[in-house]
Amino acid sequence: MFLNIFREIIEFDTLRYAFIAAFVIGIISPLIGSVVVIRRLSNIADTLSHFSLAGVVIGVFISKIIPLSFNPILMGIAFSIGGTFLVEKIRNFYKNYKELSMAIIISLGVALTGLFISITEGISTSFTTSLLFGSIMSVGKFDVILILFFAATIFVFIGFYYKQVITLCFDETYARISGINVKALQLLITIILALAISIFIELVGVLLISALLIVPVASSILISRSFKGSIIISLVFSEFSILLGFATSHYLSLPLGSTIAIINMIVLFIIFFIVKINTIKFKKEKKEKKEKKENKNKASKPD
Amino acid sequence: MRINVNNLTFAYSQRPVLKKLNFKLESGDFLSVVGKNGTGKSTLIKCLLKIVTVPNNTIYFDDIDINKLKKFFNVGYVPQKLDFAYEFPITVCELLSCAYLKRKDAHFTSIINGLDLNPIYHQNINNLSGGQLQRVFIARALLNYPKILILDEPTVSIDAESITALFNILKILHSQKVTIILSTHDMEFANNLTDYYLVLNEKGEYKNLTKEEFCNVSEYI
Repeated sequence: MFLNIFREIIEFDTLRYAFIAAFVIGIISPLIGSVVVIRRLSNIADTLSHFSLAGVVIGVFISKIIPLSFNPILMGIAFSIGGTFLVEKIRNFYKNYKELSMAIIISLGVALTGLFISITEGISTSFTTSLLFGSIMSVGKFDVILILFFAATIFVFIGFYYKQVITLCFDETYARISGINVKALQLLITIILALAISIFIELVGVLLISALLIVPVASSILISRSFKGSIIISLVFSEFSILLGFATSHYLSLPLGSTIAIINMIVLFIIFFIVKINTIKFKKEKKEKKEKKENKNKASKPD
Repeated sequence: MRINVNNLTFAYSQRPVLKKLNFKLESGDFLSVVGKNGTGKSTLIKCLLKIVTVPNNTIYFDDIDINKLKKFFNVGYVPQKLDFAYEFPITVCELLSCAYLKRKDAHFTSIINGLDLNPIYHQNINNLSGGQLQRVFIARALLNYPKILILDEPTVSIDAESITALFNILKILHSQKVTIILSTHDMEFANNLTDYYLVLNEKGEYKNLTKEEFCNVSEYI
């Protein structure tokens, strides 16, 4: 199966573009996902993906009424970045219910999406389904270049700011007092997240972005003991799910986003199981040790 | 580094915590901030570190208003309850290497050795005991050559051995003219180190006392 798919990747442009896009996204998603998880921004990923969806649909609407051809994903990117600022602005209105801002932006995103789908002529059901669940085969040369450029940007960013990003993610107060420009760095991280979400929409769709960004990281942190270890393990899980998902969905004609998400979930549940077994084993050993010690003490006590 | 707190008033919503607080510290001074729970010790530290917004012209570091400081430099901070992303794995080595913005050098190694961090250097930070974690955070605070060191209740939930180690470190830093602000309940610990006391009460009032004045006036203890 894998040999055949490699032959097809070499032979067909569509499949090749899709494969390159999936492979590169498999590398960058756990890198971004780790930052998202440490900074407790898992919900914002969902919020921005829904708002970005509105941007894509509005982009399609505009491209239908203005005779200029542009990729609606660009509008999605603009909305995704705009969404992060809106979340921050709305957050200031609520002291104790800060998460409300995300719910508001999700609602706005979904409402705008519904509205513009209904007023845009010629939007097909398959188009909306592909936005929701992804359609990797629609990835073209432009998208591949965009993804490669984005990946390169992330690697340059990590190369320059690795220490600062880790310090900021784990302890914002310390980052600030050690002279790191926290606001600027936070802005850069948010923009990268927003860009990632808009770009990932085409691959896995709005509803499954979190599965791609978050789940491999959620699996890796349960079994790794170091930051570097967790990044490497999440990269392995991410690539495993994407490559296996790619091959499976291609041969069984399944939606790629859902297949990747399900493989990720299976990995996560296997890890839950392993962790549970280990915990039980550890507790049992501890109990046995305690009992042994007590018996020893009893035996050594004179009557 | 000199610190000047000038008429600092701070309130959470309508509840005043600090009222027209004043104190001055010269380079190398050691100030212990004492008072019961809820008297504003941690709030004062939050103000000094700009974790909360403070009014203009109320806190100066080396005669510069902290609101006009573009970046903090040479400030070390050891938090009380570690405001730290727990569960995500990171080793002591990774945490400290990232916190030290330069390449590892003799200064880095001397802090690791001085705080006896080698046995736990490659351990996941989430598996450390309270005392071990405290030592890691003291090491982190010392990495970037602090001229001011701020410690919030550092002796809470650590063992006697770690308290002695901390005591010795603070003594050395004090002799090296690092300005130290220590918020604590542990009078015995503070009394053997401090030059001045800042005593806070629930009404937002305060008293600046020298070590001698503090020891003579038992009502503040």
